[in-house]
Amino acid sequence: MKDIFFDLSVRSVRLNLMRSILASIGIVIGVVAISSMGMLGTNMQLQVKDQLSAGADTIVITADAVRMGPTGSSSSSSSSATGITKTQLNKIKLAAGLTSKLVPVYSTTTQFTLASTPGRSTVYGLNPDDITKFLTISNGTNIGGINDALVGATFATNFDLKIGNRIRIGQDTDTSRPVLRIVGILAARGMSSDNVNTDNAIIVSDDWYTNQYGGKDIYKQVNVIVKDINTIPDVKTAIDTKLNTDQKKPAVRISDASSRLSGITSSLSSITTFILAIGGISLLVAATSIFNVMMMSVNERIQEIGILLSIGTEKGEVRRMFLYEAVILGILGASIGGISSLIIGYSVVSYMIGTTKYFFLPESIMYIPMGMAIGLLVCILSGLYPAWKASNMDPIDALRSE
Amino acid sequence: MINTPLIRFADVSKVYHLESGDFTALDHISLDIQDNEFIAIMGPSGSGKSTMMNQLGILDVPTSGELFISGRDVAKITALERTHMRRDTIGYIFQNFYLIPLLSAYENVEYPLILKYKKRDESGKATAMLKAVGFDEALSAHRPTQLSGGQQQRVAIARALVNDPKILLCDEPTGNLDRKTGFQIMDILCGLHSEGKTVIIVTHDPKIAEYADRTITLEDGRIAA
Ligand SMILES: Nc1ncnc2c1ncn2[C@@H]1O[C@H](COP(=O)(O)OP(=O)(O)OP(=O)(O)O)[C@@H](O)[C@H]1O
Ligand SMILES: [Mg+2]
Repeated sequence: MKDIFFDLSVRSVRLNLMRSILASIGIVIGVVAISSMGMLGTNMQLQVKDQLSAGADTIVITADAVRMGPTGSSSSSSSSATGITKTQLNKIKLAAGLTSKLVPVYSTTTQFTLASTPGRSTVYGLNPDDITKFLTISNGTNIGGINDALVGATFATNFDLKIGNRIRIGQDTDTSRPVLRIVGILAARGMSSDNVNTDNAIIVSDDWYTNQYGGKDIYKQVNVIVKDINTIPDVKTAIDTKLNTDQKKPAVRISDASSRLSGITSSLSSITTFILAIGGISLLVAATSIFNVMMMSVNERIQEIGILLSIGTEKGEVRRMFLYEAVILGILGASIGGISSLIIGYSVVSYMIGTTKYFFLPESIMYIPMGMAIGLLVCILSGLYPAWKASNMDPIDALRSE
Repeated sequence: MINTPLIRFADVSKVYHLESGDFTALDHISLDIQDNEFIAIMGPSGSGKSTMMNQLGILDVPTSGELFISGRDVAKITALERTHMRRDTIGYIFQNFYLIPLLSAYENVEYPLILKYKKRDESGKATAMLKAVGFDEALSAHRPTQLSGGQQQRVAIARALVNDPKILLCDEPTGNLDRKTGFQIMDILCGLHSEGKTVIIVTHDPKIAEYADRTITLEDGRIAA
């Protein structure tokens, strides 16, 4: 080593190795807390974002809840009277432009029986041509005949369904209980941000749906799938001006993935901040233990400091010697902490989130170097006062101390 | 000032402010010390010998009066300049040796060179200095705790001399040594004096004082003789 003050610090740490390691453990814990908590929060956010990003190109238009839709067809008890009307749909078509795809969606919940097992799920009524615009059939074919149906991936797994199986729709007490034939199974979609959550649902043709439930041309929602995500704000504005002519009483509610996401992500990031703060507190505890050890080191070496000062060592050099000591403790703690964070963080993320596929992404893994840097910084800050105290001792008094 | 002496005490007092009142450890001292003098300072315990040495070593500044060392008023220079004078102009040898415990004998001697040149020594000066006080390479690798008192004091002398200071201050350098070792140390100091150093030594031992050209006796902070 070139710098004798660094040598002196290393030797001092080595001389009190046990004490130094114990002090560094505080830093290790702090670094692990900050990095694994940070990574946990970030992985959580990344996963939720990813799950919701299906449908990022979609604007969802629903009837505003306060405004009642046109009355008339209310043949089924479970169908809602509010919805997007045919006129509104045409206006949306005009406003959205030719490049956008429109998907009018009927939906309700229903009871069903599957090989004598009763169940309950969402039923979506879609034009078969619209289905392939945004859904993927992983198995089988699209709806062709009037009694054909598709089911979601989870639904299929839960009931161990095969193509060709039949579902009886409605309650046992119902007089007419139509039977649907499963022609295809959809790919898993996760929690989708376009409000069409097919994983646990049954998808039927729009014709079958309106036959069964009525409410023709009154849609639960209309999804507008834009070609270019960047045009979403413009399309939203266009739809808004066309449909919500009375701004005090808007006819429809227009939302996109980002506005639906922002609520979730902001609450997730406040959770992240909160758990990071817990990590921060543990570093504060670490800071006091480092400060304590540094003060012990200074107090034990008063005479040595006196010798150094009396034979012409500059104050800055004495300060440097003690700051090196703090840095050594910091590097010791931060590197052990960094390695532990990798292991512990990985385990925590895989246990709590169930996947480590986001773990090594920069926005997640960066918490390790960040935690290490904060740990090191905490050490240096804790060493400042002890170092200052050492360098400002009176050499005569210091020499005389035993 | 024509023909400025190397060291000049001009009416120097050192007063300690204690809870029990002020205590005058040095009482209006005026004294000139010329280049290459060998001076012994004697006096009873508590008479102010160490206080005077601390003034000479610029570890402290006078409460009143002026102290000139190499023509510079030590109270009027910055703290950093005082530090540099301690490093370059003065060699200090203590009764308790005061070697740096974490450094080997060699590193202790090398240390003032590092302070001065801000790098490890490549000139071989430290080795030469240790050789001059009878240290070979193997012994030079020892830590202070592994050395006898006489050996430690030799290292301390080598350390004090390595930056070639004009003034060598020795506060009871033989106080912790047996008589025989003490005289060996005195022989080294005599040799240094004849090489041109100004040597100032505090001692209780009249036999040691005999080595000096001039003896100054302190009593209650004043020069008695
Ligand atoms: N920092 C201090 N604060 C208060 N009083 C002090 C201080 N340093 C020295 N004194 C007092 O000044 C007086 C002179 O002390 P000094 O150490 O110079 O004596 P000395 O001649 O070296 O004695 P000894 O032969 O025992 O070493 C003593 O009475 C001592 O108590
Ligand atoms: Mg004394």
